[in-house]
Amino acid sequence: MLISGVCSLLLVGGTFRVLASSGLNSNSSGDLQQRNLTGKVVDANNNPMAGVNVLEKGTANGVLTGVDGKFSISVSSPNSVLLFSFIGYESKEVVAGSQSVVNVSLSESVTGLNEVVVIGYGTVKKSDVTGSVASINSTKLQTVQVPNVIAQLKGQTAGVDIQSNSSNPGSSGQIRIRGERSLTGSNDPLLVVDGIPYSGSINDLNPSDIVSVDILKDASATAIYGFRGSNGVIIISTKRGKSGKSVISFDSYYGITNVMSELRLFTGQELADFKAQAALGNTVTPGTNPYGLTTVEQTGLTNGVDTDWQKLIFQPGFTSDQELGVTGGNEATQFSLGVGYYNETGIIPHQRYERYNLRTTIDHQISKKIKVGLNSLNTLNFTNVAGNPVGTMMAMSPLVSPYNADGTINTYPMTGNIDQMVYANPLTINLTNSIYNNSRRIRTFNSLYGEWSILDYLKYRINVGLDFSQTQSGSYYGPNTVFNTGQTLAQATSNVTNTETYTYTIEHLLIFDKTFGKHHIGFTGLFSIQKDHARASGFNGLGMPADQIQNTNMAYASTYTSSGNYLTERGTVSYMGRINYGYSDRYLATVSLRTDGSSVLSPGNKYFTYPAVALAWNAMNEEFMKGFRFLSNLKLRAGWGKTANAGINPYSTLGALSTVNYNFGTTGLTGFLVTSLPNPSLRWESTSSFNGGLDFGFLKNRITGSIDVYNQRTHDILLSQSLPRSNGASSIIVNAGKTKGEGIEINLSTVNVELSNSFRWATDFMFSINKTQIVALQDTSLKMDIGNGWFVGQPLTVIYDLKKIGIWQTSDATDMAAQTTPVQFVGQVRVQDLNGDHKINAADRQVLGNFQPKWIGSFTTNFEFKGIELSAMAYARMGMMIAVPYLTADGGANGFPMFMQSRRNQLKIDYWTPTNPTNAFPRPDASRDNPLYGSTLGYVDGSFIKVRTISLSYTFPVSLIQKAKIDFLKVYVNILNPCVLYSPFVKAGYGPDPEGNGYGGTVGSPSAGGSTSIPSRAITVNANTPATRQINFGLSLKF
Amino acid sequence: MKKHYIQKAACLFIAVVLFAASGCQKLLEENPRSSIAPTFFETPAGILGGIAGVYSDLRNLWGTEGFGATCVAGTDEHKMGGSASGQTFYTYNGLDLNGMSGLWSIAYQDINTLNGVIEKAPAVSLDDNTRKVYVAQAKFLRAFYYFHLAETFGDVPLHMTFLTTASTADSRQPIADVYDSVIVDLNAAIAGLPATPTAPFGGKAATIAAAKFLLAKVYLTRGWSTAAQSGDFTQAYTIANDLITNKATYGLNLWQDYADVNKDGNDYGKEAIFCIDHNNDAKFGDWSSQASGGKINIMASLYRPNYPTMNANFPASGGSTVMVRDVANGRPFIRTTPNTGYIYGQAFAERVNDARYDKSFQTVWICNTAANVTTPRGTLVVGKDTAIWMPSYEVSASRVANFKGIILTPTGANGANKYTNVFFPALSKFNDPSRANMNDPSDRPLDIMRFAEVYLIAAEAAFKGGGTLQNAADMINVVRTRAAYRASYPTGQTLASSVAAMQITSADVTLDFILDERSRELYGELVRWWDLVRTQSLVQRVTLWNTEASPYIKDYHVLRPIPQTSEIDLVTSGPKFPQNTGY
Repeated sequence: MLISGVCSLLLVGGTFRVLASSGLNSNSSGDLQQRNLTGKVVDANNNPMAGVNVLEKGTANGVLTGVDGKFSISVSSPNSVLLFSFIGYESKEVVAGSQSVVNVSLSESVTGLNEVVVIGYGTVKKSDVTGSVASINSTKLQTVQVPNVIAQLKGQTAGVDIQSNSSNPGSSGQIRIRGERSLTGSNDPLLVVDGIPYSGSINDLNPSDIVSVDILKDASATAIYGFRGSNGVIIISTKRGKSGKSVISFDSYYGITNVMSELRLFTGQELADFKAQAALGNTVTPGTNPYGLTTVEQTGLTNGVDTDWQKLIFQPGFTSDQELGVTGGNEATQFSLGVGYYNETGIIPHQRYERYNLRTTIDHQISKKIKVGLNSLNTLNFTNVAGNPVGTMMAMSPLVSPYNADGTINTYPMTGNIDQMVYANPLTINLTNSIYNNSRRIRTFNSLYGEWSILDYLKYRINVGLDFSQTQSGSYYGPNTVFNTGQTLAQATSNVTNTETYTYTIEHLLIFDKTFGKHHIGFTGLFSIQKDHARASGFNGLGMPADQIQNTNMAYASTYTSSGNYLTERGTVSYMGRINYGYSDRYLATVSLRTDGSSVLSPGNKYFTYPAVALAWNAMNEEFMKGFRFLSNLKLRAGWGKTANAGINPYSTLGALSTVNYNFGTTGLTGFLVTSLPNPSLRWESTSSFNGGLDFGFLKNRITGSIDVYNQRTHDILLSQSLPRSNGASSIIVNAGKTKGEGIEINLSTVNVELSNSFRWATDFMFSINKTQIVALQDTSLKMDIGNGWFVGQPLTVIYDLKKIGIWQTSDATDMAAQTTPVQFVGQVRVQDLNGDHKINAADRQVLGNFQPKWIGSFTTNFEFKGIELSAMAYARMGMMIAVPYLTADGGANGFPMFMQSRRNQLKIDYWTPTNPTNAFPRPDASRDNPLYGSTLGYVDGSFIKVRTISLSYTFPVSLIQKAKIDFLKVYVNILNPCVLYSPFVKAGYGPDPEGNGYGGTVGSPSAGGSTSIPSRAITVNANTPATRQINFGLSLKF
Repeated sequence: MKKHYIQKAACLFIAVVLFAASGCQKLLEENPRSSIAPTFFETPAGILGGIAGVYSDLRNLWGTEGFGATCVAGTDEHKMGGSASGQTFYTYNGLDLNGMSGLWSIAYQDINTLNGVIEKAPAVSLDDNTRKVYVAQAKFLRAFYYFHLAETFGDVPLHMTFLTTASTADSRQPIADVYDSVIVDLNAAIAGLPATPTAPFGGKAATIAAAKFLLAKVYLTRGWSTAAQSGDFTQAYTIANDLITNKATYGLNLWQDYADVNKDGNDYGKEAIFCIDHNNDAKFGDWSSQASGGKINIMASLYRPNYPTMNANFPASGGSTVMVRDVANGRPFIRTTPNTGYIYGQAFAERVNDARYDKSFQTVWICNTAANVTTPRGTLVVGKDTAIWMPSYEVSASRVANFKGIILTPTGANGANKYTNVFFPALSKFNDPSRANMNDPSDRPLDIMRFAEVYLIAAEAAFKGGGTLQNAADMINVVRTRAAYRASYPTGQTLASSVAAMQITSADVTLDFILDERSRELYGELVRWWDLVRTQSLVQRVTLWNTEASPYIKDYHVLRPIPQTSEIDLVTSGPKFPQNTGY
């Protein structure tokens, strides 16, 4: 447990009881009973502990231990009880008695019940939490070496589902807390960094700067964040300084990334066979194939040419992360400084992510009553992803050589193929002057606070957040490259885009906290404003005199156009009040109310109010529970709350014209079309949810865990509703429909074996089920809105299409003849004639599946033996479908689904031939540019169980490193994504990894009235950068 | 000291609260700057912008691959090329219910914009003449869309007011009402438009001539339809005849040479009445190098064979390719092939006196590879020898045996090869040899109303009773006389002899003759499917000529399906939106 001491909890506000007295002993009553006690606090290894809170129980009298672990405190009587507490450690009580020296040893907390949990605008002890909140500390996160905290959170806690959406360097993944609620609005949770809402890229936060992550899952906890909290809240706390000896830390790791495995494509001979079969299967001119082997391919086949294009391109990627930090301070001032450098290169040339960090925090007690602090996180990062050659690599013929006879790269090697000039040699990706795509962002995220302790139990706090980022991105694609098959520099394309964003937040908080006998009352009041501003401008150039100019001087471009220009602003005004009440550490209640006003909605609909209430019962603290010895913790929680979402873009209610251009002869005019209708009646989309939870611990907390069940109802959902096109506009955002979600989340941690000081085996188990479904659509009588893909009783994103039931076999002649429309051939995809009318048309479409897993689970096992630690985590998402566009279209898939036609190379699939009457894939047909009902081939069971990480570390014993003046030294090696244990997708040979790497897309082209565009909100497995495996070696040092 | 800090903190607190409170209301107001709301139509720039926007949207239809195919596929003229897209439109086998969603969606989006322009224009501060022209432009375009919707789908929703609130209900109006509104709009357009293109609507944007052309065709089409009114054919004939009589007023005439009609360089010429404009400006021309989709003119590629894959040993494999792709020969999309039986046996059966076959098709490819290529019959010299020859007639066995290149003929007699769906004569009408790159789309305007067609409209109207059969023959003879012209004639043939041979008499005028004449004059020009539907000849002609589609075509195919997913599935309130019968 590394929550960095009391100071950080002070900073976040809330429990200022300690602050009022810490180190600034104000007890000046001059009581004669006063006497001084001194002592030293050490940990289990006998190391002095700095910053331990020493409190005379029942009073506000307290001090902190110094660097050497020593303290000195005046107590009022021999009956005084001293309470020693430190985050992450078991608290200890000692009766003062007559002794003048009290030495105490604190052991690390197993239960974590005294851990402080950040609940938003304050903190509480874990035992006082009433809502559903998960806390994850940095030690646990940092066993996963990835460039951002979201990717680290995968599989860490129940109810938080993180899906991969890219394998490019610097990719983060998509995070969903308790599933999805909104159909058009964002389903991303709110990030709060050091108390200030954060809307920037997650990559701009250095995971090494993070000390803990607290996730608010249920509405009773998130309602205090208003509309921004409707999808859950992730509260990130960064490292702060602490008083005591300055600690210098150095963390470093190096990693190697490799492609998990190549895509299984046709080899040269297999492609030749496929082309021959496509000729035989030609349904228009049987026996012919306009895409038969070219002369060069024929020669290649004879000479045994079999180029593995993937092998030529995929390369090992390297990762390096270096972090240097200093923390320290005295009782009045604490600071922390950090610098970091992260660099990752991808498995495809030109892919690179690089980040520089600079962090400063300072906390200063100006006077007994006033405290100020600053946290400044500064990032400079570079993302380089020039493009994705995977589609081209899939399409390239293995029967041609990538090189000319003289060893140079053959730019267009598919001589004689119709697509020769469309697919340039992927090796041209290595032409560094010709290909450039870089995005450089500088971000400075600053939070300042001032705290005024008006009274011992009342304080005012102001938080000011200033977030500014500037991104300059640009690209250049020269001719004769894999990304630009133009043949002259006149076709070179270049781009420069500049984006700036800023957000300022001002929060005023009034915090009351007092204990009256057995009653503990806390109140938090908030008034805040926030303004978000974003502005961008971009230029595209066509034609450049020389590759080397790239996009550095757009004036050289022969023509330029401007795109990607916008200016948007959004304002928010909020009021919030929260009361925490506790009785005798047994009964706890939290009530909150928040009102938000947002600029994005029309006058009259701007405000929304969120009530929330939560109750908890610490049953373990009841007298009658003392008899249950096997039980060490039992707490029941229940909460209800309402959240809302104004998840529409600014100006959405006003309608918009889209801009187009036209030339009347030589006269150019800019034109406007009505594409978005005004809608002043838009309201907030709101979710009310109930959460019930049980926290338990058995056998002195050797077994701990929690179970939460919840149910949420979302009303007035903001829907982008497609309209019958005859009304002019294609869609409009409306408040319509209802969804409901239900789920259960289980976390279970057990210490299976614990032998004192030598061996420990612990396991963590996480399991969650989330089921979201549509309850009502825009019109209550409407049960299905096929056009939008919404069906009552189904999840929000479903696959609705014809259902493939196999391939028409020779033996199906009778059934085949009975089908009147369309007339089909043996070897084609056979779909279900749902209504039995012998016609395949729109009426035969049905819901085939959805993207929502039936359950998600993870299992972590951890062995420790004399400083050696071995841990592994397995992660499972089960029971959902995935869409795989490249199973229905060639890798290019840019509107040309030339699949099964043999025109290009493609994924090796089990296709039908007269001698291989499979039901998997249809017979290749050289006459069709997409197989009939090809879209039905692209839906696959996406279930998987994967090992996410295996990590091995060794922490050197203090005795060994002390002489070198080193306090802490750990070395480790870990593997990310080592293997897939179960996946029907992988088993079928469709790819290395069933986790997604892109969004949306289209699977094939329908031929019988079925829309098969995958909704753009769905993550798909596409011909993008394939999944990777990474091995890291690192060390962590403190002195 | 202590007090000092407290004072400072208090001051700060008050300052911040005051600042925040005053900013509150302002913070919740919206003032868009980088986007434009529909209220923009209440300004002069908005009115003009709405019209320009609709013109621009036309680029999403005429000239594109998907829509282009639906204009010619599944007719007597065309069959699927080796790389055809939208195949069910060629065969009618399980016709794609969403295949026409482009026309449907774009038309109604544009109609709403035009309704906005027409509705707001009277109150906008414009001088009266400008306002009149703008409104006339808008009414022309609205009529243009409704006419195409009606002839494609039959009864369709008829919206004549600006819709600014969304609705999930809609219904179809009788086709008669649609035609009525189209005729009203076109008459208003004729009253307001200039006789020749006038700034800012340059190029070949709408003029009186374009509106009259359309009006003549509307009357002709209605005359054939179930909504026919007496006098429709007379109206059609009269209006077409008026255009011909006053052609000088409108700056229109026929080129002497059919080859000049579609020649690169003759753009916006005297025969063009209305075009979808394009140029190679990245912004106003929506042009981008090597684009293969989007708002481009891709016509030059659609009717082109896969000549760069022809190998020297054809039909056997293993030889070197005899051609490479270049600018002159164009980018092969192989989407559509001539329907050989109809083209050679019927429409272009006369290819001697009628020069139009030779001026519509490319049949010779000169070897353009890097080095000479050897076929089993000899070595092809680059830039000199014909590598591929696709005569429209059969050649002798000795000619085949002695020809160094590869010969393909309509039937493949005497040892020659037969045209395939990959190797076939290329339509050369839309060629753009002045492009920079062989894969660039064309930057030429695409004519969709041509003066020669006025004679054919008049002829058809006369044939149907709007005039006499002699009127019909006279009109057709004008076109045929021009078709006889060649710059030079083979031995035994002169201009006079060819012209004489091309003349027809009133006895020759039949519906089939008119339709064949339309093929000869307008082959590939995106009108065939509507021509056959209008003249109630689709099923009969496809059954007669098109073996690919004849097994599947049914009577109900004379109307296209209403788009299933972008219309029918989305009408979720009120009565269900009916699909056309049969689908």
